[in-house]
Amino acid sequence: MQESGYFDKYSPISGVWDEMYGADTNVRDHYRKVIEYISGESADDLNKKEELAKRLFMSQGITFTVYNSGEGIEKIFPFDIIPRIITADEWAFVERGIKQRLTALNLFLKDVYHNQFIIKDGIVPIDIIYSCPHFLREMYQLQVPYDIYVHISGIDIIRDYDGTFYVLEDNLRTPSGVSYMLENREITKRLFPDLLPQCGVRSVTEYPTILYKNLLALSPRQISNPTIVLLSPGIYNSAYFEHTTLARLMGVELVEGRDLVVNNHKVYMKTTTGLQQVDVIYRRVDDEYLDPLVFNPGSMLGVAGIMGAYRKGNVAIVNAIGTGVADDKAVYVYVPEMIRYYLNEEPILKNVPTHQLGNADERDHVFQNINKMVIKKTNGSGGYGMLMGHAATEQEIEEYKLEIMKDPRNFIGQPTISLSSAPCYMQGELQPRRIDLRPYALYGPDGIEIVPGGLTRVALKEGSLVVNSSQGGGSKDTWVLA
Amino acid sequence: MLSRVAASFYWLSRYIERSDGMLRMLKINYASSQDTIQEFTWAPVIRIFAGQGEEETERLDNNTRAVLKYMVTGKDNPNSILNIITLSRENARGVQEHIPKDLWQCLNEYYHTVKDPKIEKALQREDPIGVLDILIKQVMLYYGTAEITMERGEGRSFMNIGKYLERAIQSVDILDTKFGSVSDNPDLLTDTSYWKHLLLSLGGYELYLKTYREGFEASNILEQVVLNNDFPRSVIYSVNNIQRYFDRLKNNSNADDFRELSFQIGRLQSRIKYSSVRSIEQDGLHQYLTQIRKELYGIGNALNAHYFANS
Repeated sequence: MQESGYFDKYSPISGVWDEMYGADTNVRDHYRKVIEYISGESADDLNKKEELAKRLFMSQGITFTVYNSGEGIEKIFPFDIIPRIITADEWAFVERGIKQRLTALNLFLKDVYHNQFIIKDGIVPIDIIYSCPHFLREMYQLQVPYDIYVHISGIDIIRDYDGTFYVLEDNLRTPSGVSYMLENREITKRLFPDLLPQCGVRSVTEYPTILYKNLLALSPRQISNPTIVLLSPGIYNSAYFEHTTLARLMGVELVEGRDLVVNNHKVYMKTTTGLQQVDVIYRRVDDEYLDPLVFNPGSMLGVAGIMGAYRKGNVAIVNAIGTGVADDKAVYVYVPEMIRYYLNEEPILKNVPTHQLGNADERDHVFQNINKMVIKKTNGSGGYGMLMGHAATEQEIEEYKLEIMKDPRNFIGQPTISLSSAPCYMQGELQPRRIDLRPYALYGPDGIEIVPGGLTRVALKEGSLVVNSSQGGGSKDTWVLA
Repeated sequence: MLSRVAASFYWLSRYIERSDGMLRMLKINYASSQDTIQEFTWAPVIRIFAGQGEEETERLDNNTRAVLKYMVTGKDNPNSILNIITLSRENARGVQEHIPKDLWQCLNEYYHTVKDPKIEKALQREDPIGVLDILIKQVMLYYGTAEITMERGEGRSFMNIGKYLERAIQSVDILDTKFGSVSDNPDLLTDTSYWKHLLLSLGGYELYLKTYREGFEASNILEQVVLNNDFPRSVIYSVNNIQRYFDRLKNNSNADDFRELSFQIGRLQSRIKYSSVRSIEQDGLHQYLTQIRKELYGIGNALNAHYFANS
């Protein structure tokens, strides 16, 4: 196959799994059509596409605001125009793995808030659970509709140097980014006319419909038109764009805490014609801010009394409260065991080997090999508070060790995974950058559904392994082929 | 509809209407300043739209470019186009899922257009009319899009109430200020270009020419701006529309709130409807306009108390 300039010059990083090039630097089959298309475009064409993408994001207000010296500066979440492509087989494998994992995690949540067999049987140590700040006693013995706790999850998946898929973390609280999955696709349709159908890319547009169907099914009142709302912390939240997008796509009301009031253990929203009862809440407010009477008393984001209404079963809350105990990084270590324990199956998707630093032996091992390790806080997120051993200075390592020794349970160590790379269009040429994948799984009364796609995040800085948007990461459209 | 959402609709719309009035006012006054041999005063415009203290007004008064900067892109002027469009957009952002996507994009582009540093630069260095026209076009795009895409429901009613309330207040303020200057300086009474510019800034010049044959008369201008129901910026036209859109909010579950506001709007409507130029002049124009303004504010406050209070 004749390849034009961009691909001749593309050189994958050695020792890294490249999504486009195989080990013998042959293009993988599923990238051929895209390469053909892009090779036919001049650098000028591609620059124009990049410009168009930026303009579309900006004019549609798909931005987040960075506050700088009292002035809001709107930025778009950096978007790379070259799609990331996943084959049907790869996807089928990931999909099965996620369904298995979520099923087990959900059974774990039910167990941990009811009989606690897994603790009694000694599979998961009791102190790991009770020391987790997201284990909420308020949820103990509480019945949730259909026994579903995690209705929406965004499990982060990475590939190692040999292409093996690993689960990096299970995001089971209020995972964000799904609107970027949807918007990236809309933008790509504009950038590459006709290319999606030619390549046989599966659609992701069903996501809001499935989510809405699941929310509807949770209504405690058996009425034809239950009130479903999306509870947002408000316009200053970094994911606010996503909240409005989802509310718009589902046609549900977007509310803030101040729009709701609880009366006689029922939740109402304040309307111009009086109070209207709310049946289902898709909340994007974290547990601790949800009810000032039960959790953080200073929170202005939640609704006083909502926990009481939830306990009475008068309102459904999605995701359930207290799911954080299952995505604590110290509990993550036990997920493969959970799969074996609850499902009697071998895990399909692997965990990244993880050392719990509360355990002295493992801690010693991690400290001795610290240059090859990533150390994370068990309840951190957004890439904050991490130590990347290979990139840290002696002094940073020593300071971090002292921090760990204050409360070792709050840290885990993982060997540095060499994330796979994919071609990105940068400064007029294609360059490999590290990526991960966050597919979004929806768990409803009919089972788990995952739209074929997800958010591919990109570490835009050369050599960087950190893809979080808060750390300078970007994203790509994710194509799953039929 | 959520009370907060209703309030946002109302405010986003008031701010847009205000920006429209300001831009037209600035455009005509700028044109007028190019036509004046003696020093042109911006003081009335600053008083109407920026509500500044005398000191600030004096500082800016005769410096056309400084006034334009202050009124359009001034960050420290809470009522600059930049700041009110930012507020309008913040309100829209909070109710985005209630607004057609087209309309949101319109408003968003208006915002990005005002924010573009090129606008400020062009206002200082190039032809300000060209710049103001770019912005006026943004408002018109917004109004066209709203007309075509907005669902004919509660949200649109609150938007239109906001729009016409703001418009009525503007027309009252402009009349009051302009006629106030006349009583300070009676020479203006016979100054043709003074009245012409007043009408132009309200977009009522051509209608005036067609309606009144005997040249510029203060009493005719008064009649058109207060009482002419064919003039889209007249006080009566605006108040009739407030009444019309408010009527659509009638609902069994808010009968008491509705009745109270309906009474206030009806009273104001009658006050204007049963006025004549002669009766206004007898009452004293300034007293008359002050009373109308007070009632318009009263309607705004009542909306807040009865419809938006829960927000």
